[in-house]
Amino acid sequence: MLEEFLIQTINGIVVGMILALVASGLTLIFGIMDVVNFAHGELFMLGAYVGVVTLAGTGSFWLALLVATLVVAALGAAIHVTTLRPLLGRDPLNTILVTFGISLVLQNYALWQFGPVARKINEPFTGHFNLFYLEYPWYRLVIALLSAAIIAGLWLFLKYSTYGVWIRATTQDRLMAQAMGIPVPRLLTIVFAIGSGMAAASGVLFGPLVGVNHAMGLDWVLKAFIVVVVGGMGNLVGSIAASIFISLTESYASLWVSPSQAIIVSFVVLILTLLIRPTGLFVPTPK
Amino acid sequence: MTDNNNRDDWEEAFWYSGKTTRRRLVGWSAKAAGALGAMMLVPAPWRAAFGAAKPFKIGSLQPLSGNAAAGGKTALVGVQMAVDRINKMGGINGRPVEIVTGDDESKPDVARRKIEKLLVEDEVDAHVGGFLSNICLACMPVFEENKVVNMISVCLDTTLTTTKCNRYSFRPYDYAPAQAVAFAPYLVNKLGKRWHLIYADYSWGQSTRDAYAQEIKKAGGEIVGGTGIPLGTADMTPFLSKISGDFDGLFAIEFGKDGVTIGNQAYDLGLTKKYKWAGDGALAESTNLPGLGNKIEGFVGINRYIPVFDPPLNTAAHHKFFDDAVARLKQIDPSGPLPDRYVQSNYEAMNALKIGMEKSNFQGRDDTMKLIEALEGLEMKEGDDFPQGDKVLRKEDHQAFIREFIFDIKDGKHRILETVPKEKTIFPPACKFASS
Repeated sequence: MLEEFLIQTINGIVVGMILALVASGLTLIFGIMDVVNFAHGELFMLGAYVGVVTLAGTGSFWLALLVATLVVAALGAAIHVTTLRPLLGRDPLNTILVTFGISLVLQNYALWQFGPVARKINEPFTGHFNLFYLEYPWYRLVIALLSAAIIAGLWLFLKYSTYGVWIRATTQDRLMAQAMGIPVPRLLTIVFAIGSGMAAASGVLFGPLVGVNHAMGLDWVLKAFIVVVVGGMGNLVGSIAASIFISLTESYASLWVSPSQAIIVSFVVLILTLLIRPTGLFVPTPK
Repeated sequence: MTDNNNRDDWEEAFWYSGKTTRRRLVGWSAKAAGALGAMMLVPAPWRAAFGAAKPFKIGSLQPLSGNAAAGGKTALVGVQMAVDRINKMGGINGRPVEIVTGDDESKPDVARRKIEKLLVEDEVDAHVGGFLSNICLACMPVFEENKVVNMISVCLDTTLTTTKCNRYSFRPYDYAPAQAVAFAPYLVNKLGKRWHLIYADYSWGQSTRDAYAQEIKKAGGEIVGGTGIPLGTADMTPFLSKISGDFDGLFAIEFGKDGVTIGNQAYDLGLTKKYKWAGDGALAESTNLPGLGNKIEGFVGINRYIPVFDPPLNTAAHHKFFDDAVARLKQIDPSGPLPDRYVQSNYEAMNALKIGMEKSNFQGRDDTMKLIEALEGLEMKEGDDFPQGDKVLRKEDHQAFIREFIFDIKDGKHRILETVPKEKTIFPPACKFASS
C-alpha cells in the first residue's frame, strides 16, 4: 500500500505540474484580459506540431521547445490583434464565441496540414529509475521540473520586469493603468502571446508521452478550466496550487477506486468550489 | 454591315415578330434553369460516362472531426477508392454511384441526427460506414425504421451482430469473438498462460474484453485482471501504474490516439519489458506506427489487414489496392501513411454492397428486401474487389468470417507470424432477427 501511495504521489505531482503549466497560461489570459480562451487547447496542440517540425529539421528537442514557444507566442499575438483586440470592451460572450471559433479553425487546420496520422516527439533522454515494481522514466520528472522552472520564470517576470509591473497594475485596475500611461492594448497582446507560448511549451513537453495529433488539446483544456475555477479565476498561484491539489486528489482516490472513477473527484471539487467558495479555493479571503 | 443588318433582323424577329411572347420567354428560362440544375447535380465525369442515368446515392457517416477523426479520414479514403473504381467500370446496374458523406464528430448524439438526415432528407439508397461502436449501436435502429441497408465498415462491438442485430445491418469483416477464437491458442501456447487485459472502457473495448477472456480460458489460459481506460484519456499512467503482480502477458484493446498513448506510456513504465506485450491489431495500425516509434517493437497482435506483401498477401490484387491507397492517403497526410484496416474494410464493404446490388438488380429503396436476400450468405472471392481474401457473410447474423493475420512489429514494420484461415475463426451465431 505504501508503494502505491508513493507512486501515486509522484504521478500526481508530475501531472499536476503539466496541468499547472497549461492552466497558468489560461488563467493569465483570463485574469488580465477577461477572456475565457477556448482555443488554449489548440495552441497546446499547435505547439506540439511546431515542435515535431522543428525536431525533424534540427534534431534538437530543446530547440524545438524554444521555437514552438516563440512561434505559437507570435501566432497568439496575431490572433489577439486580429480577432480579440477589436472586441475589447464588448460583452465577454463575444470573446467566448470568437475563441471557440478559433479553436475549431486551428483544429481543422492541423488535420488538413499535418494529416490524421499521429506524430512522434522523441524525448531528449530515455533513462529510467526503479520505483518499487515500476521502471519510472526520468523524463516525467524532468517535465515536472521544467514546468516548475517555466512557471517560476513567469512569476519572476511578473514580479520584477517593467512589463510585469504593468501587467499586475492592469490586472488590478485596467482603466487606472491606462490613465497612468500604460499601453494597455499592447500589453494585452503581450499577455495573450505569453499565455499562448506557455500552452505551446506544455504541448512540446507532453508530446513524447502521447504522440502528437490534432485532438490532443481537448484532453487537457477541460481539466485546465476546472483548475482555473478552483484556483480562482485569474489567480496564478491559486491555479498552480489547484493543479497539484486536484491531481493529487485524483491520484490518491485511484488507490481505492478505479482511476476512471477517480476522475469524478475533480468534478466534485469543482461543484463544491462553485457552491461554497465561488471566488476559488486558493484565493485569500479579503480582510 | 451585313452582319449588323442580320443581327438587327434577328433581334427584331425575336422581340417584335410575335413569336416570342412573355409566356414563351418564361418557359425557355425555366427549361434553361432546369437543365443547368440537372448539370450541376450530376458531376462532370458521370455525365460523360453515364449520360443522364440517375446515380445511386450511398451514404457514408464517418468521424471526420473529433477524437476519432484520424480513423474516419482513412475510412473515407476506402469508400472513395471503391466508388471511383466502380464508376470507372460502369457503375452499378448501369448507374453511377454518388457518396453522400456525413461527419458524426465522433459523438453518438450528433451521429443519430446526421444519420436521420442522410436517410430522410438525402434519401440515400444504402449506407456504408460507421466507425465508433457506440455510434453504430446508436444508429442501427434508424436503418431498421427507414428500411435501408447498412454495411457497417469499421465498428467491432460484438453485439452489433449478436444481441442487437437487425436484418438491415451487415458486418462484412471480422468481429472480436472470431479474432479471439483465432488468437487465443497462440497467446496461451506461445506467449503465456496468465493474462491481464487492458481495454478501452466503452462498448467495443468491453465486448472485446469479454470475447478474449472467454477464449483465453477455453484455450487453457487464465485472466488475472482487467483495467478499463476511458476513451480519450491523455495520461494513462494512473491506470498503468496500478498494474503489477505475477502474470505472463498484458493484452491491450485500444485503438487510434489511445493506442498511441498506451503504447508510449506502457513502454515508459517498463511494462512492455516486464510482461509479454500483445493485443488487438488496432493498437499497432500502420497509421499509429509513426506516433509509437520504437516503443512498439516486439508487440504481437492480430488484425484482418496489415500492409505487407508476405504470403498470402503477395497478390496482384493486393498490390493494386495498396498502390491506390498509398497515393490517396498521401493526399490527406503528407507523411504518406500505409493503408490500415479502416481503408481495407471500407473499400471491401462498398464492393460487397455493389455485388449485392448487382445480384438483386437493385434499383432503389423499394428493392431493399431483395438486396438483403442477395447479401445474406454472400460469398466473396479474393481479387480486386476483396484484396484481403475470401469471405462469407453468414445468413444467420449478417457477420462475415475472414482470415486473420497474427503479426509482430519488427524494425518498425509489420511481420506476419501466422495466418489463420477463415474456417478456424468461426464463432456460433447468437442473433435473432426481429422479423424472423
